[in-house]
Amino acid sequence: MPSPMALNPPSPSPSIFKKKSLSSLPSMATAASYLSAVSEADARARHHEVSPTSTPALSMSSSVTSSSEDTVLHENDLDDSGLAYPLTPPTSEQVFTTVHTEFGHCANESFRYASQHTPESTLETHYEDPPYYIFITTYMSYLMLLCLGHIRDFFGKRFQPRYFKHLMPYDGYAPLNSDFDSFYTRRLKRRMDECFFQPVTGVAGRTIAILDRYSLDFNESYLYSGSKTRALNISSYNYLGFAQARGGCADAVEESLRRYGVSTCGTRLESGTSELHVIGEALVARFIGMEDSLISSMGFATNSTFIPALVGKGCLVISDELNHASIRVGVRLSGAQVRMFKHNDMEALESLLREVISQGQPKTHRPWKKILLIVEGLYSMEGTLVNLPAIIELKKKYKFYLFVDEAHSIGALGPHGRGITDYFNINPRSVDILMGTFTKSFGAAGGYIAGPKVLIDALRVRGHSGAYAEAMTPSVLTQVIASMASIMGVAPPPPSTKSALTLSPSSSTATLRASDSEEHPGLAPASALPSWLSLPLALRDGSEGHSRLRRLAFNSRYLHCGLKKLGFITYGHPNSPIVPLLVFNPGKMPVFARLMRTRQTPIVVVVVAYPATPLVTSRVRFCVSASHTKEDIDVILRACDEFGDLLDLKHASGERWPLEEIMKRSVELVNMP
Amino acid sequence: MDSSASTLEPLLAFFAYSMSKLESTFYKVPGSAVLARYVRSSHQNDPGRTLLELILIVFAIRTLLQSRTRTDRSGKNFIKFNEKEIDELVDEWTPEPLAQPLSEWEQKDLASVPVISGANGPKAKILSTGKTVTNLASFNFTGLAGNEQIKQHAIDTLRKYGLGSCGPPGFYGTLDVHLDLERDIAEFLGTEASILCSQGFSTISSVIPAFCKREDFIVADRAVNFSIQKGIQISRSTVRWYDHNDLKSLEDALQSVEKERKKRKMPLTRRFIITEGIFERDGEMVDLPKIIELKLKYKYRLILDESISFGTVGRTGRGLTELYNVPASQIDMLIGSVANGLCSGGGFCAGSMNVVDHQRINAPSFVYSASMPALLATTASAAITHLRNTPSVLTMLQENIRTLRSVLDKANGITVLGHPASPIVHFQLRSSQGGSYEGESRVLQEIVEDALAQGVLLTRAKHLKGQELIEMPPTIRIAVTSAMTKKEVEKAAGVVKTSIARVLGKRR
Ligand SMILES: Cc1ncc(COP(=O)(O)O)c(C=O)c1O
Repeated sequence: MPSPMALNPPSPSPSIFKKKSLSSLPSMATAASYLSAVSEADARARHHEVSPTSTPALSMSSSVTSSSEDTVLHENDLDDSGLAYPLTPPTSEQVFTTVHTEFGHCANESFRYASQHTPESTLETHYEDPPYYIFITTYMSYLMLLCLGHIRDFFGKRFQPRYFKHLMPYDGYAPLNSDFDSFYTRRLKRRMDECFFQPVTGVAGRTIAILDRYSLDFNESYLYSGSKTRALNISSYNYLGFAQARGGCADAVEESLRRYGVSTCGTRLESGTSELHVIGEALVARFIGMEDSLISSMGFATNSTFIPALVGKGCLVISDELNHASIRVGVRLSGAQVRMFKHNDMEALESLLREVISQGQPKTHRPWKKILLIVEGLYSMEGTLVNLPAIIELKKKYKFYLFVDEAHSIGALGPHGRGITDYFNINPRSVDILMGTFTKSFGAAGGYIAGPKVLIDALRVRGHSGAYAEAMTPSVLTQVIASMASIMGVAPPPPSTKSALTLSPSSSTATLRASDSEEHPGLAPASALPSWLSLPLALRDGSEGHSRLRRLAFNSRYLHCGLKKLGFITYGHPNSPIVPLLVFNPGKMPVFARLMRTRQTPIVVVVVAYPATPLVTSRVRFCVSASHTKEDIDVILRACDEFGDLLDLKHASGERWPLEEIMKRSVELVNMP
Repeated sequence: MDSSASTLEPLLAFFAYSMSKLESTFYKVPGSAVLARYVRSSHQNDPGRTLLELILIVFAIRTLLQSRTRTDRSGKNFIKFNEKEIDELVDEWTPEPLAQPLSEWEQKDLASVPVISGANGPKAKILSTGKTVTNLASFNFTGLAGNEQIKQHAIDTLRKYGLGSCGPPGFYGTLDVHLDLERDIAEFLGTEASILCSQGFSTISSVIPAFCKREDFIVADRAVNFSIQKGIQISRSTVRWYDHNDLKSLEDALQSVEKERKKRKMPLTRRFIITEGIFERDGEMVDLPKIIELKLKYKYRLILDESISFGTVGRTGRGLTELYNVPASQIDMLIGSVANGLCSGGGFCAGSMNVVDHQRINAPSFVYSASMPALLATTASAAITHLRNTPSVLTMLQENIRTLRSVLDKANGITVLGHPASPIVHFQLRSSQGGSYEGESRVLQEIVEDALAQGVLLTRAKHLKGQELIEMPPTIRIAVTSAMTKKEVEKAAGVVKTSIARVLGKRR
């Protein structure tokens, strides 16, 4: 058995500065250590087969694991991984109010950055290609997987027909899923199924507890050993770190559960509207900088149920080719024509616009009733930002309507966290519709759609959700209100006027938005919040929100630039909290994920492959959070550095720095243009 | 002559050099030798063939290049404009406004939507008036809204899991409490497994396209709810509609599909019957044993939406399967609402292991959306335990339904719709009281407002006019709850009855 040290080479590999060349295939030493690491990781992962009831896989390295339900928050094990307690204890002046496992303690004010567009930064994404042999081996891997899969199917159908019964016509029923349609799932995805649907428990904060599981039948089914492993979480969409079970927001949610109960028992138009909806919608409108907004209980449904109320027959939707599934569903339900353009390519968009406007509707050549351009603010697989300034210019000339899905960008971008318009310093009202979700930055659930009042009122009545979908529950609404107010900061109430909160039932904003002239992005007036809501001072004055935004921006940029300097190929904008790291070869994905998960400080990562990405560009997707500390990003960089050498992932051109230098000069690195 | 030769010389030398360079690089490409040999030998045999092959290659490349642009600039219908003309056309084009403003009636309708202050439940405080009224409008069938034990359960969960799950189920969004609830639901119903969706409304419109593809057949009730209609639309399958809750018409449809399939010798494809347990539109109930008989006979799969019936009928609220005493495993995909039946949020689809696993990678709103907040999952689990342990919830609910219906049945000028066991009770105006759809809606709205003034909250059943498959007559929809006593229900129903009499009396 290879030594466990093979996983963690003690010194950085000397090849960091070596110029890459086409022939520099991994040397024997690397290949050997690769194999040993894989088998090591494999052994660790399958450790449970031998003794399912023993301590979790990592106990051998005295890491943190929590064994009983109640210790999820209070790990009292000896902890040297920095997960449960900071490696450097706080000084006497530093008071941290958050639980370190949920939201990391970081007092160093230089580890901050402002997420903001600068004129010199480019929005063109440069998709760097790896050497050819990577492409060739990647295709060969797929070819091999396909061949093996077909061979197994061929023999399997003949010798083990019962495994194929549900894929074959049976007793006059066509199979729910034919063997052909499910081939990819059965023969390729199944091999790396351990990377997906990993059940977890507790808060999806800075760290997360994964339920240890193992499979005895090649990922057909899983058995749970009953133990948990706490791991550094760089996978959840917890951009601002509001996924917390403690703190001001959670306290507010508890209070609202006591006051409002669990559910509002109905749809929005049929007596399921609570005052919290009205307050929430007014606050969202103010946060976004739009006239009015509408809240829906599911982010996916916000797109799929409101887009059909915006466009219909005789209309055209122009959609970025990488738009989210919910947008596609919404567009398909609307009955409008769709045209796609190359991801974020403004020239392609303009030439498409010229074509469709001049040609009009197909066959009849009648002019389009309206054209709606749908883009996302921040693309969830690429980490690219939409080129909003260019689109606004095009909009002036071509008169299309603009719908921006800010699911990932709201809260995560912009110096005030107001999303992509804030990031580019563009007036939000120059966009027609801003949509977003609360699942990400706000640690809640559901989505919103914001725009002019006439439009939003029309959506209230004509969108599918209003009449048929259950309303958002009070607890979720409270989380949205509390987290949003703490990003904005709450303006102290004017001393004299005791403004009683008067709400008009139909339109949330009619009475709340008294001072429309108010500067955007401004504070949340105290009168716009539920009267019972009392946030702690740090949340109320917006200082914590501000610090979260700046921490997120620093962490995003640090991870992105750090990986670049280590020589990895990454996509996306350096300011994006989504950092995709390209691994290309499908076989490397599960290995990478497993190596990360079985480190001394376990890290959970998301790997995405075809069909979510093009066939060859399989990737690891990091989602940075404000809850991470600089040390956490160091840990991730160190892990990537080791495994990058092991798995031959460092193929980017450009200057490289050794890991120690990156860690030491992090602030300088982040502030480089 | 001499000079021209000397000027040509370097050119020629360069030409010869680049040719030889090209040749040598060509031979460096692996496999090029084979190609060269092939060309040489074929040229020797038949020089004409080389020409032909060359033309073929050129043609192939042309078609390849063309097919890229074919979709954009398809021949016949494409009109070529020059840049100036396009600019003019762009200038001339004026789009319609993004949204048509609301009509006067729609505005009034929106303004009349009640906002509830504080907790919702059998008694609700209306924000605009500050009055506390009896609630006959909200979906609180099992009466669990405001249940202190369940609230405490939610708070405990909050303190352990926080609120949001911050991720789709595939990427660390699957919590142990989700798995627990899925197991609880499956055990409660008696199916192999179940899968959660974070919104009740989106559940079935995501289940249908996960299974029904373009080549498949769907036979569905004409009055299915909006979510089913949208799911069917997304699936792009061939649909046959049968008359509302008419099983004779269903059988006819099944037969005609079968005949057509035989006649056209179509390959075996998936076939589905889609209907609701208790119809959201009018409270009718489907004859489950009969439908199962038909589905088995014609070898269809059954997708049953129990959004209203789950948690409201049967001895302990297991729904239609309990009421009719058929095993839930007979229903291929059983969809229910966690939001309605269990007073929480979300929806589920229960079925065999295969059915559930298939959805985990194919149902769009499961795969591409964040999982439901942990506290909604645990409250739903607690609600199931409550239903299991307290069958009196369901007896009370059914008792209240009977009480309400018996009062309303005596009211003049209205028709009470639906099955006697349905927890939602629709009533419509008897024959053309208001004339048009909008007229009738106005009359019903007057009844709603009159009742509200008397302390009873009602609501009209809201529909999306013009977007539905068929237009149902306007109705007022009462949602009965088990959290009221018989007296309270009687009193509230009495108020509704007087309001009806008063409003209709005025109009005579
Ligand atoms: C662009 C986009 N829109 C919508 C959604 C759906 O949001 P939710 O998870 O809240 O349903 C997502 C989530 O992944 C998304 O990325």
